[in-house]
Amino acid sequence: MQDGIPDEVGMTAQTFGDGVSQSELWHELMQFYINEAWLLDDRKFREWLDLFADDVFYFMPRRLNVGRQDLSREISEEGDLAIFEDDKTYMTMRVDRLDTGMAWSEDPPSRTRHLVGNLVIEPLPEGDLKAKTAFILYRSHHETDENIFAGSREDHLRKEDGRWKIYKRIIVLDANVILAKNLSVFF
Amino acid sequence: MAVSNKKYNVIDLKTGKLDSRIFSDPDIYREELEKVFGRTWLMIGHESLVPKVNDFFHTYMGEDRVILTRDGKGKLHAFLNMCRHRGNPIVRTDVGNTKNFFCPYHGWTYSNDGSLEYVPGEEEAYYGAVDRDSRSLIAARVETYAGIVFANWDSGAPSLEEYLGDARWCLDVAFNRLDAGTEAIGPVKWIEPLNWKTAVDNCSDNYHVPTTHLSAILVQARHFGLPRLTHEAQFESPSKHLFINGHSLTMRMLDRPDQARQTHGVTQENRSLFEEYYRSTLAEAERRLGSVRAGKLQLGNHSIFPNGVLGLRLAHPRGPLETEFWHFVVLEKGMPDELKRALRMGSGNYNGVAGLFEQDDMDNWRGVSRSSLTPLAQKYSQDLSMGVGRAGSDPDFPGTVAERYTSENNQRSFYRRWEEFMNAESWEDISIEPGTADFEGTATMNG
Ligand code: FES
Ligand SMILES: [Fe+2]
Repeated sequence: MQDGIPDEVGMTAQTFGDGVSQSELWHELMQFYINEAWLLDDRKFREWLDLFADDVFYFMPRRLNVGRQDLSREISEEGDLAIFEDDKTYMTMRVDRLDTGMAWSEDPPSRTRHLVGNLVIEPLPEGDLKAKTAFILYRSHHETDENIFAGSREDHLRKEDGRWKIYKRIIVLDANVILAKNLSVFF
Repeated sequence: MAVSNKKYNVIDLKTGKLDSRIFSDPDIYREELEKVFGRTWLMIGHESLVPKVNDFFHTYMGEDRVILTRDGKGKLHAFLNMCRHRGNPIVRTDVGNTKNFFCPYHGWTYSNDGSLEYVPGEEEAYYGAVDRDSRSLIAARVETYAGIVFANWDSGAPSLEEYLGDARWCLDVAFNRLDAGTEAIGPVKWIEPLNWKTAVDNCSDNYHVPTTHLSAILVQARHFGLPRLTHEAQFESPSKHLFINGHSLTMRMLDRPDQARQTHGVTQENRSLFEEYYRSTLAEAERRLGSVRAGKLQLGNHSIFPNGVLGLRLAHPRGPLETEFWHFVVLEKGMPDELKRALRMGSGNYNGVAGLFEQDDMDNWRGVSRSSLTPLAQKYSQDLSMGVGRAGSDPDFPGTVAERYTSENNQRSFYRRWEEFMNAESWEDISIEPGTADFEGTATMNG
């Protein structure tokens, strides 16, 4: 098996914290991400926001086009200008904005489809989890606008009152120049 | 439209009627690549993007690919990214560090000062007949203003200092305040479905803010405790709306020198930290800019002709109805990290491709750019009549100053300046306003 991916043949004996098997956790997380995708595509943004911890860091760095010898510079670092660098306040502002009735970039709203998969999980200290997923986000807007965004997300999650909460999300797009008029949708 | 023997007569300054074909006509677009982008000083980057010798940063002048290099001696150059053999780009990455640029087609190799150093088969295949000296990379003129790098293809153009003219009196307030200078972070790059001029003319459009950006204004009032920006506040604002030498500027008045500047990222919560910062840097700023510019003024929205949008943010043309937008943030180097973070998050989250404010501009700007696509719609001019005849000189400010902060004077003037370039045979026909501003303090073009 690869790190974090359940073995088809006998389930791994490796446990993550409280005696839960890796495969049980993987399924739990996969359900979490399927649920998240439906919340976004069904435009239940308040419920989506609730999946994030109050101290969340929601970050989308820039993806540079660099040579092989410079791959260490491919993803911009914190401190450089990012595409998203949100805390919970900024994330809440983005959602609140949609409810004002005057958020023109999303009125009429985008029609989105989030496909999330390739989940890999890894234990972190104190029962926290690191979960990596790949995504394709399709967006249709107005009559003929179309965007396809592909990339990866790395989440850090912890249990709060028995529910997983994301306290760090790093989204890395595969695009260099973003071929979209704006990013008014969520990742 | 008034009768004129000039080829381009697109803006009527008396009525504000604007010929909307300038946004979508492919022939006009082709001509402006040559007559505007081929002649003007264009921002291409910032010294901080190439801090070390042999660093390079890939950029654009209009649609032309350009390499900004810092050679082995530390000198800056701007080269057309085009191999002199068959025209292949020799750089394919955004950034890097190298002494030599190697063309991946046949292997011609250039030094980062532009000279052609090596040609495979120079003796054998070419029989020693290649004149390498005449095949250096095509170089643009390079000059800097307070760390911002500009380049120009036209040997007949005036210096950057003359080109900026008294606009620098205003720009200094944001970009030339302290000895340590500034650094640029970014850019975030994306494709906007609109003509580059629409993004630029919007910089002086204070009129759109309370409507276009109402949702963002409401949530920043709610979450950051900032005053709600209204039409009434904009109409009564004492802020100034100036046009100088092609550049559009707005200046806000400070109530006191340490007032936290009205910038994205300043909140009710961190306001006192910013005030402390402005207090602690005031003496230095006064020495560099004089007391008026250091303590009474703040630079607001502005554009640098032709395609600079709010400082070092660039609207690169990509066809009549497409613009590649580059969003940089310029920060004062010595600013405490906590404040840099606030401004970085504010600038990134308000403007930029995902910006709470800027995302709402896009469909409007596209609509303006595309309004001339049908023969029917083309018959009707656009209206830039706001405040016609209500601008002139002001004892306290350089340039042409509108009576109100909300005015379309700068937009009319921007298209007039564009016309001037489009109708000119050469720089001989292009005017430069005589400078009148008093550049109090020690700050210069070089920081
Ligand atoms: S095109 Fe560059 S070496 Fe031939
Ligand atoms: Fe705007």
